[in-house]
Amino acid sequence: MIRSLFFIAFFFVNPAAAQTTIKYALGDVVSIDELPLLVAVERAKKRGVTVQVQAFKSEEIATQAVINGQADVGQGTPYAAVEKVSVPIRFFYQLTSLQFYPIVNREFYKTWKDLDGQEIVVHARGSGTEAIMNLMAKEHGIKYRNVSFVPGSNVRAIGLLKGTIKASILDASNKNYVMKEAPGKFLILPLGQVKASDEALFAREEFLQKSQAAVSVLVEELIRVNREINKDPGSIVAERRKLGLLKDLPAKLEEEILPYFKEGVETGIFPNDGGGENAAKNDLEFFRLSGALKSPDLKVEKFWTFAPLKAALSKLQ
Amino acid sequence: MIRRFGWQLASFALFFGLWELAGRWPVSAAFPPFSNTAVALWELVVDGSLGKAYWLTLQPLALGIVLCGLAGIGFGIGMGLSRSVEWLTLPVFVILQAAPMAAIIPLITYVYGIGLTSKVLAVTMLAAPVIVMNSYKGIRNTHPSLLQMCRSFQGTRRQEVLKIVLPHAAALIFTGLRLGLAMGFIGIVIAELLITPTGIGDLITYHSSVADYPRMFATIASIVAVAALSLHGLERLERRLFP
Repeated sequence: MIRSLFFIAFFFVNPAAAQTTIKYALGDVVSIDELPLLVAVERAKKRGVTVQVQAFKSEEIATQAVINGQADVGQGTPYAAVEKVSVPIRFFYQLTSLQFYPIVNREFYKTWKDLDGQEIVVHARGSGTEAIMNLMAKEHGIKYRNVSFVPGSNVRAIGLLKGTIKASILDASNKNYVMKEAPGKFLILPLGQVKASDEALFAREEFLQKSQAAVSVLVEELIRVNREINKDPGSIVAERRKLGLLKDLPAKLEEEILPYFKEGVETGIFPNDGGGENAAKNDLEFFRLSGALKSPDLKVEKFWTFAPLKAALSKLQ
Repeated sequence: MIRRFGWQLASFALFFGLWELAGRWPVSAAFPPFSNTAVALWELVVDGSLGKAYWLTLQPLALGIVLCGLAGIGFGIGMGLSRSVEWLTLPVFVILQAAPMAAIIPLITYVYGIGLTSKVLAVTMLAAPVIVMNSYKGIRNTHPSLLQMCRSFQGTRRQEVLKIVLPHAAALIFTGLRLGLAMGFIGIVIAELLITPTGIGDLITYHSSVADYPRMFATIASIVAVAALSLHGLERLERRLFP
């Protein structure tokens, strides 16, 4: 009797502690860049919120899972889908901001101007990588001869090393890999201030309203992990070891964890405040310029909801 | 004839009607009604993007099918006529026929990169086993009494092959080509979705990524229609050539 009363009292005082499950759709392979998420997931679990991370082949499939209600939370930046689809989907947290590196084979090109009339290779049509390259072309007054699409930074990295690709854009870990494999062969072109989300969290509005407490716990833990990383990038390495995450990571990739997070902290890709309104505004501007968003009247409230973030931030301060 | 046409028309009307209902219900927020898909298809035709996409998609498909047609039939005939060639090459084609190609196609990029060669190879890997096996079976299944007749009339081996075996196998060889084209369509779409998005694969990937589902479905419906019509045309030609 006393035990039952204890349980009732516990759940009444702490509703988030009631076992809640969030089905999380990830449109990528779980790798070192997902470590902050994995740590937050472990910590949320201890607070009674189970986050089931399911990796899908692409962001589109993860988005479909959220639209159709098979997943609760998705990871990515499907702004075009949010704009067009009839189900109200809202972004609520910025995981990371964009960190990409335009890279060229030094033998052929040395500056942005050299890319005038040349072929470049990006991730996909309408992707962030294409948007960055187009923005830079506009900034430097150049026009590419052709834009080819090769999905996956790792595939483009191999193409660069093999010599089949001469100018492309890579994420941080693949940029480091290419520079290490062929020292002196490639050059990173300077990138102006491109501010947009690389990965953000989104969910159906109805789910966010129904599961406020659970979402708040996840967001709180994500912010906490980001703040720890920004304070000390080595903390994620220690946390990985402590929690036994990504145990089967090859030694080569294991060595890349610390440099990746150090570089991320230097370039400020892990927000301390979950992005918020600034991230939302920057994203709308970036995806409007990239052509992914077509509507002339882009309102932040049609894409983002800030309630989960505000709830989490109020508990952290 | 008119009655058959009527039934076919009714079948299409029923299918598109159900599609329209499913889209309006909707079965999923990403499933467009037939009417929206038809409008999107029209827009893709008018703005020229569908034409450009087919120009890019049909190049590796045509190259792959021509290669398979020449080499595949050659291998098939060789296997049918010679036990040594059969012993040497049959296992390769049996394995290729059984292998899950969607898992193997991404591996091609490790050797041949991401260009046209990989896509032609993807078409070849799917189409070749069907073409080769049909040619081989066609040759091997030549009626023994016809061969005996040729020999009893003192026919040479050359005459036996040219006047009995090949004409007898022609129908099955042609069926192999038709089925090979069907596999080729599967191969090129898988390659364009898995290797690099170009042509039809690019239209599907792009419209899916920007959530333009009517255009995505319109592209898929168009490639299904093109493949079905091509195969139907070949089937009619086959019936006329080998009644």
